[in-house]
Formats: sequence, structure tokens, C-alpha cells
Amino acid sequence: MNYFVKGNPDLCIGCRTCMIGCVVAHEGKHIFEVDPDSYSFNPKLHMVKTARLSVPVQCKHCENPACMAVCPVGAISQKDHCIVIDTDKCMGCKSCMDACPFGAINMTVQTGKVQADGSEKKVANKCDLCYGLPGGPACVRVCPTEALTLVTEEELGDAMERKRMEAARNAYRETHPQE
Amino acid sequence: MGIPEIEDAGCLLCFGYNGADSHPIVARRIVRGRQKGMKIICADPRVTETARISDIHLQLKGGSNLALVNAMANVIWNEGLADIRFIEEHTKGFDEFLKVIEKYTPEYAEPITHIPADEIRRAARMYATTKPAMILYGMGVCQFTQAVDVVKGLANLALMTGNFGGPSMGIGPVRGQNNVQGACDMGALPNSYPGYQNVTVPEIREKFEKAWGVPLSDKVGCPITHVPERILHEKDEKKRIHAYYIFGEDPAQSDPDLAEVREALDKCDFVVMQDIYMNKTGLYADVILPATAWGENEGIYTCADRGFQRVRKLIEPEGDMRPDWQIIADISTAMGYPMNYKNTEEIWNEMIDLCPSFTGATYEKIEKYGGIQWPCRDKSMEDKGTPYLHKDGIFATKDHKALFYGTDWHPPVELENDQYPMTLSTVREVGHYSVRTMTGNCRTLRNLEDEPGWVQMNTQDCEKMNLKKGELVKILSKRGYCITRCLPTDRVKPGATYMTYQWWIGACNELTTAKLDPVSNTPEYKYCACRVEKIQDQEWAERHVMELYDDIRAQMGIDTGKGAES
Repeated sequence: MNYFVKGNPDLCIGCRTCMIGCVVAHEGKHIFEVDPDSYSFNPKLHMVKTARLSVPVQCKHCENPACMAVCPVGAISQKDHCIVIDTDKCMGCKSCMDACPFGAINMTVQTGKVQADGSEKKVANKCDLCYGLPGGPACVRVCPTEALTLVTEEELGDAMERKRMEAARNAYRETHPQE
Repeated sequence: MGIPEIEDAGCLLCFGYNGADSHPIVARRIVRGRQKGMKIICADPRVTETARISDIHLQLKGGSNLALVNAMANVIWNEGLADIRFIEEHTKGFDEFLKVIEKYTPEYAEPITHIPADEIRRAARMYATTKPAMILYGMGVCQFTQAVDVVKGLANLALMTGNFGGPSMGIGPVRGQNNVQGACDMGALPNSYPGYQNVTVPEIREKFEKAWGVPLSDKVGCPITHVPERILHEKDEKKRIHAYYIFGEDPAQSDPDLAEVREALDKCDFVVMQDIYMNKTGLYADVILPATAWGENEGIYTCADRGFQRVRKLIEPEGDMRPDWQIIADISTAMGYPMNYKNTEEIWNEMIDLCPSFTGATYEKIEKYGGIQWPCRDKSMEDKGTPYLHKDGIFATKDHKALFYGTDWHPPVELENDQYPMTLSTVREVGHYSVRTMTGNCRTLRNLEDEPGWVQMNTQDCEKMNLKKGELVKILSKRGYCITRCLPTDRVKPGATYMTYQWWIGACNELTTAKLDPVSNTPEYKYCACRVEKIQDQEWAERHVMELYDDIRAQMGIDTGKGAES
């Protein structure tokens, strides 16, 4: 099963530390040393705020990903519990952006690469659960209120177990209202 | 109360305080408290992150604070929820206070606060009946012309419900700046020496004269917010200010009515600016003294809960800059009063010996315990300071009794009118601290938010004016205007606008009023009348903003990357 990062709006304070943590994790610490205008700031998750909700939104790492199905060049694949984009293969057709029902994919500049019209190469960008980076997803690690969790198979299993227990208790209460 | 105690409160009344934007670390305690089952009442005109997770959100009309606080007191008394025993044993002045709040029925407060009377009742009941109950308040209380009265009003609520003298209760000011508590503790106030020892008390003056070996003035000094007036309009030549030494502060960005501030800095004969980066005030300075930043300094900060904490140097400063204390010592020496401190601990030791409430807070103890909350009077290792004040209801007054203080609500100074039909309140945003002198130079924070900033407006207002998210708008008051981006949001009420005050281009303090609270001398940043205008030619506006930004950066000598000569 694929893993995913889940945000809890009851804990989130909308501070966007996750977005900075994401960029630093993917760009590397050199971004603090280079010319501030020479790197691209491309967080792979986005803070959403409505009247009564604050929570970051990112890729769900679907089991049957629409993005993967529509990609004409096979740039999207499943690797070690996550769905990743091979930005070298990506041709920038935006089909995956269109297909994703969660708005989790956007287009970003791939620093250092040039495309046909001579401008910087633009590629699809989304959460890769910090694939290949030590320590797991950076957003989870940097969140000051621990509002983000990496949901694994085990985690999901535990949660379902808890929900089933609760459902069973409720069923008992319904038949024994006096207790 | 201490910050760590927040999460163990039974009920939190969060009044005019938006922790998620101003102190995420305190907000973390609020979130954690919520998870532990703490009830939250949030009084704020906006849907803040705390309002979102609160049990009751009192979305009051800006500028109606005291009407709401008095109405809550009225309900607590009339519904028999007051702690009579605490009032009788530990307080004075309750009968006079009752006379003031008598008329503040929830029905009386409803049209002022725009909160339904029954919501006020529900909030008052929840606060009075859930123990222990804690109050946190922030700039949404302090930055009004009626500010100190509201602080006292909130203290009245805590007094009448017996919420003083134990853990996770009381009333906590969550300060407007990092180490503002420390600056006050160290006597950076017009009326006191370090340790809140009043300059007008002869014995205290004599104590400091003896320690420092110089005669000292017995007169209260000039509050910072009076400086422009004292430069521009003071008729008495002897009282007029001719020199202004500013450090770690950017009045040309942070003070209200910037046009007046600029005029004052222009007219002032001599301006010294001591800071870590160039800022707007620096453009008016005759002398600039470059200082070291937090990671290059040794010293002590005080956090909002009176906790002294050590700050340690991480890296050696490079270039022509020095720590603040060394600059001050050199200036003093050059002016004829030699200061020869070897390190910050020497300065600290001199200070604590002159301040009875701080005497026990030695470097050794702060080091060992991680922090010491004053009062800490004894140097023995057993005195670990005071997590919360007024233990067992014993207050720091002569007869150890707390004093109720009731007063009537009055509206803000500048109300909406035909020409300026909306209100402006200045606020914070989490990524940028204060005037952006530090965070504006932090690249990833600039990536998240940059000039010219945003004006938060209700979506209905935006629809009426046909304004879209990100569109540049002009916002004006009778004092000035600026250009910023429109942010439509349902978190603010129709008729109200909110801007953060750190942007050089979208500088909302061009608009704010310099009217002050009579006691604290804090300006009414949270309320003035304004108008928003649509800009038809957006391309021109975008170019104009970029030009303004480049121009300021060029004036400040920042390399704009547009040619080596700049």
C-alpha cells in the first residue's frame, strides 16, 4: 500500500513551515548560500485556508493514480510506497495536473534545465514523500504543532481498529441505554 | 502564569490575541490544551486560527473590547457566578466596580459589540464555571486608545471568579515583540530604572547614583510615541528633542502616521541608528552603527512569562560590527563615563544586585534550570523563581489586596465616515517578524510573502468592488495611502480591513493614527477609517510597485542585481 501525509486541521495553525521544510529538503541546504533569486521555490504541498479551516493539501499517493494513467511518457511511477514523477522524462503536458482530483500537482521550473523555447524547463511537481531523503517527509518533521502524520499501512490498520472498537461500543450503548 | 501552564487550563479566554501569527510556540500550547479538553473562548473580530478551534468565538466589532468585557462581568455577577469569598478576602473596590458594570447588560452590549446577547451570556458562564480559567491578551487589547482600561477589565473578570494565585489561571499579556518584557525589565521605559524601580522615588534614585557614581535625573522621560511631537511642535526650546538614538527599532516603518514620523526624523538635528540591517529609519540617520544579530550575541532575553533565558553565540560576527552592549559601552566611554565590562555576565551581575526582584537570577541558575521566572530574590540555588504571581491571593500591593477598577467603554477615536467608510486594523503574519528588518532578509520567508503585502477584506466587499485575489489596490486614510494586494477572505467581517505593518511598499502605517492610550502611550493601530480604491491599470500598478521597491532598495544600498554600479 502507498503511504501518504495527512494534515489535521484541529492542530494546524496555518504557519506554512511545512512548505519551507519541503523546499529546503528538496533543494538542499545550498539554497541558503546561493543567490536568493537563483533557486526556484516550489513547495510540493500547499496551505489551504477557508473561513473555518486551515490545512496543507498534498498528493494522496493513490493506489490507482489518475496522474500515472494519463501520463503519455510514463514519467509517473510507483516506488517504495509512493508515487513519484521522473522530472527528466516529464514533457510538461499538464495531463496529470488535469487528472488529479485533489489539485496536488502544479507546474514548476526545473532549475538548471532548458526547454525547447530556450526558457527554463517546466515540469510537473508534487509530493514524493521525500523519496530518497533520510528521515522521512520533511513536512512531518518540521511542523511545530505535529499536525502532519505519515500514514502507513500499520497506522491505517490501527486507526481502523480504533474506529471498529468505537462502533462496537456505540452499538452496545444503543442496546443498553440505562448504563 | 507561565507559558507552559496554558495547556493545563480548564478554560482559556483568548482576547485580541492571535497566537498562530504572533507566537506560534505559544499557539502550540493552545492547540495542545485543546487536545487535552481545554475550553476556548476567543474574542477577536477575525476568524483566527484560535477562533477556528474555539468553543465560542465572540466575533466582536473592532473597538468594542471594554463593552464586551464589562458585559461578561455583568453576567457573572447577575447570574451568581462570582467567587464571593475570594472577592471579600482578597480584593477591594468591588462595590464601586458593580456600579460601573450595572448598565452593561448583554442587551446593552449587543449593538456595540455586534455579538448576540445570549452568546455573551454563554461565554461569561463558560469562563466563570470552568476552573482554572486563564486569560491571554495581545495587541488586540493594547493597541487602542482604550487599552489599559481593558487590561484592567480582564483582570476584573479573573478577580471576580477567583482565578488568581494558582497555576494555569490569571491573566497573561503575550507581548508584542521578542524580549519586550526584557526591555521593560531592564528599565527601557521613561519612568523606571531596571526592575521597575521608579525614577521619581528619591531612595531609589540615590541607590543608583551611588552604584553608578553619577547624579541622575528625578524626572520621567519621554515616551517613544511622543518623540515626533517633541521634535516638531515643542515650543519650549529646552524641551525640544534635537538628537534621537534609535536601536533595534524602525519608527519610519513601525510608528503610526509615517508622514509625521519622516518629518520628525528629517527635522531632528542628529539621528543615530543602531541595527543589524539597513531599514527605513536608516535612510534618515546621520550615523549608522552596525550591530550583531541574535546568533552572534551573548546575553539574556525575558519571555512574556517573566522567564529569563540565556542567549548564546553560535557564530563569530564577521566584518565591521559589534554587539549592542559593546557599542553602548564605547559611546558611554567616549562621552566621559567609562564602561569597562568584560562580558555580559558582568553587566548582568551589576544589574541584579540593584534590582531586588531579580537578585537571585544568576547566570549559574539560569544555566542550570534552563530559565528563571522573576521575582527571584535569593541567590541560593533553592530559589527557583516564581512561575505564577499572587500565590494564594496575596497581591503585590501594600495591604496585599487586589483593586477592582471599573470604567466605561468609549469608542475609538477615528470612526468610519462618508469619505472613509471602512476600518483598518494593523496585524501580524507568521512568516514576518515585526518590521521585517530580520525576516525580510530571510530568503525562504521572502519566498512565501514579499512586497507589497496584502489587505485582508471580506469577500462580499471585494465582490461589490469587483476585486480579485492578488489585484493591486490603493488604500487611503486622511493621513496617507499605499498600494497593496487584495486578499478576499471570509475570515474578516464586511467593512473591516487588515494589513500587516512590515511592508515597505504596502506600508499601512502611512494610514494609521497617532492617537494614544493616555496611560500606556500605545497608539491606536487597531482602528482608523480608510477607503479602498480599485486600480484600473493593473500593469501600470505592477510596474509602479516594482519601481518603488527597486528605488527603496537602491536608496538602502542593497544590490538589486541590476548592474554592478548600484
